[in-house]
Amino acid sequence: MVSAFEALSQAAPAEILLKAILVCVAGISVLLSFIVLRRWLRARYFARRDRQIVYTRQHWEELISAPPAWRFQPLAGEVMETLLLDSIEVSQGEELARLVECLRGSGLLDKRIREARSRKRWRRRQALVMLGRTRAVEAIPALTDALEAGDMETRIAAVRGMGKLALPEAAAPMLLLFCQERLSVPWTVLKNALWACCSSRPQVLLPHLRAAAGLPRELLARVLAEVADAGMGDELLALVSDRSAEIRAAAARALARVDPQLALPPLSQLAGDGEWFVRLRAVISLGFLGIGEAVPILIRCLGDRNRQVRQRAAWGLMRSAKDMPDILRRVVEAGDNYGVQVMVAELERCARFAPLLDQMRQSGGSQAGRLISSLLQARAKLGLDPELARPQYASAP
Amino acid sequence: MIELLQLSNSALFVYYVLSNLFYLALLITAFVATARHRHRLMSLRLETLELSPFTPPISILIAAHNEAATIVENVAAVQALDYPSLEIIVINDGSTDDTLPLLRSSCQLRPASLLYVPQVASAPVRAIYTSAADERLIVLDKIGAGTKADAINAGLNAATSPFVCVIDADSILEKDALLRLMAEVFSDPLGVVAVGGIIRVLNGSAVSQGRVSEIRLSGRALEVLQVIEYLRAFLIGREGWGNVDMLPLISGAFGIFRRDIVLAVGGYRAAAIGEDIDLVVRMHRWLMERRQGYRISFVPEPTCWTMVPSSLKDLGKQRARWQRGLLDVLWQNRDMLFRRPYGRVGWVMLPYLWVFELAAPVVETIGYCTILLAAVLGVLSQAFLVQFAIFGYAFATLISIGAVVQEEVTLRRYGHWTEVARLLLYCFAEHFPYRQMNMLWRLRGMWQHFRGGVMWEQAERKRFGAEVKA
Repeated sequence: MVSAFEALSQAAPAEILLKAILVCVAGISVLLSFIVLRRWLRARYFARRDRQIVYTRQHWEELISAPPAWRFQPLAGEVMETLLLDSIEVSQGEELARLVECLRGSGLLDKRIREARSRKRWRRRQALVMLGRTRAVEAIPALTDALEAGDMETRIAAVRGMGKLALPEAAAPMLLLFCQERLSVPWTVLKNALWACCSSRPQVLLPHLRAAAGLPRELLARVLAEVADAGMGDELLALVSDRSAEIRAAAARALARVDPQLALPPLSQLAGDGEWFVRLRAVISLGFLGIGEAVPILIRCLGDRNRQVRQRAAWGLMRSAKDMPDILRRVVEAGDNYGVQVMVAELERCARFAPLLDQMRQSGGSQAGRLISSLLQARAKLGLDPELARPQYASAP
Repeated sequence: MIELLQLSNSALFVYYVLSNLFYLALLITAFVATARHRHRLMSLRLETLELSPFTPPISILIAAHNEAATIVENVAAVQALDYPSLEIIVINDGSTDDTLPLLRSSCQLRPASLLYVPQVASAPVRAIYTSAADERLIVLDKIGAGTKADAINAGLNAATSPFVCVIDADSILEKDALLRLMAEVFSDPLGVVAVGGIIRVLNGSAVSQGRVSEIRLSGRALEVLQVIEYLRAFLIGREGWGNVDMLPLISGAFGIFRRDIVLAVGGYRAAAIGEDIDLVVRMHRWLMERRQGYRISFVPEPTCWTMVPSSLKDLGKQRARWQRGLLDVLWQNRDMLFRRPYGRVGWVMLPYLWVFELAAPVVETIGYCTILLAAVLGVLSQAFLVQFAIFGYAFATLISIGAVVQEEVTLRRYGHWTEVARLLLYCFAEHFPYRQMNMLWRLRGMWQHFRGGVMWEQAERKRFGAEVKA
């Protein structure tokens, strides 16, 4: 039998192996040249760019006020656009208007709009995101066109661009296409864009929320929960009894932003909801309200069958309660061991357990003694094996 | 005898050609994936994720066993991460050094009796501490069980976020690393169940206040050789496998997982030596058995800097452990091989790991022996052998330089010309004797596995940024 090595050797070793070696050597040479050439070109480019940036910063006011001669110089135009877009992102009011006007006057905005419509693949995606950063309302039609592009990456870039615009007008085409099931992008990307666009005018969402059904409606409700303002109480109340648990949870989340007296009754209702995550959101919102009237509801929630709801109820009580010994007394009297444990754990987390015990010891009385004893018993059952708790770790550092 | 030698040489030849073809395919796939990824990054704005209320919270789990040299800076680095909602859980896994006292003083820890519900099995927790300085930080002090997996399980029990990020205590994350990883999750929130970033070698770089302040290549040859290995493993191996949805491993030093899936598969297997690959393979199994569409991804730019062994002894221990871990995982999951429910994982990924990763040191050793024997006995043309060795050397160098090119295109962290030149020089120098030593360490790992009784052997830890004298 002849081995494969031998067979190959007999066939034409010089030809095959030599060719293979040459191909490898050529490959190595190409890769090395690529590294050297790329480094050299980048070093050259960035040196020129840095010089241009320094010049642009030194003459910033002149450059944005004067006729845009820089527009016809590729590097100067690129640097100017970058700095303009960076400035636009952090500007407000008149300054923003002045910078956007400069973009318009220089023709950079038109150029990007043209690119967003005519270019393909990653160049188009780059133009779409740049357009979003301009925060100019004229960008919306070009971005809207891309919302129904054939490939997902372009649609995502268009939605991100809309989000960067952060204009209520930009939300409309996204909402329209989304409710017609013509906009297919990851929902987190869409939620971020809608949140950015609707923050200043959450009412934009309402007609679409009323008209939508199923999962799109849940998504819109989730966005509404983040952007709702104090004036939307009535709209939110209508969502409290919705059939969808996701929408009830969104309503519970949003109610933390409205007038506490208006929010308390619906949140109390939602804190007894059949779905654990609705109760959780309601309890968190009650905690955020931070009002004494929420205390009885939160004490009731300490006995919830879901651990996370119980933990958040304890957190809420820490925020809402003024007289903590009284709260603890009421919690112990409620007779729910889970509730006492979770309350003790939260006090421990906030380092308030030991000071509170001292305070109660100083106040004295047999009632206080019984209360302290109940709390210490609950603390011993928190899940750590007391046999393993080393004495040296028991005292605070 | 000669017949046997020739048969063996034929088999080795086929093995060699196939393994090189696999590598070439991975290199090409990785180049394509990197180009695509770079274009995708153009539409990504990290500040959107940082400000968004929809960015989910993450629990960071740091298992620490005798990590006094690095733990304080490690925690400081995590605390400084750009991420809107973090929970940081350090698990002191039975340390006998100053890990816990150092944490107690630097983070102002205080004992707290928090609710701890064991959802996955782990050794008992002795005490829980919260930090007066940072309410996001929790420290679990547990009885050491001898494996990192057990410590991470304790962290999983204490975690409350929908995603967990597991990192090593001797590593430092870059500030935007979590956001960059989560951007991948956002691109497909229901599909991505786990995502890993790149691990890079910290030795030689300067660290101050929990941040890598100056990136430099180490002065020691052994550490530079590991730089090339890491670049090759991540920027070619992981990038290539991830691009075809067959990622076998998310490094234990830096990866994000959906907590519900990790809990569903029973957490980390406490007895696993390679707990990271074990978890990923079990996730593949669990999700494929349920016919769930999923993705386990790799993203090349979120960076975790880690200290690598700087002595041959420690490196040998590490490589032996990796090989033991691989053997253990592949053996545990041998029923997935060539079975329909496991699709591409059972038909391509696992066979590749068996044949070209696990068996490589054995085949290579046999190869060296039989080819030399055949050459000595005159049944193999010596001229051909030399030509073949030159080809093997050139091809392996090409792959390593490909990894450096990937680094240049994606991260380009070594800014100075001299450092790139050194890196390239080592691409030519790594094939002898480093490669052969690696082979022997891996063989030792297999031997240890079959012999049994070898527990976790921790390498000597050095402080971040401490210059190593040759």
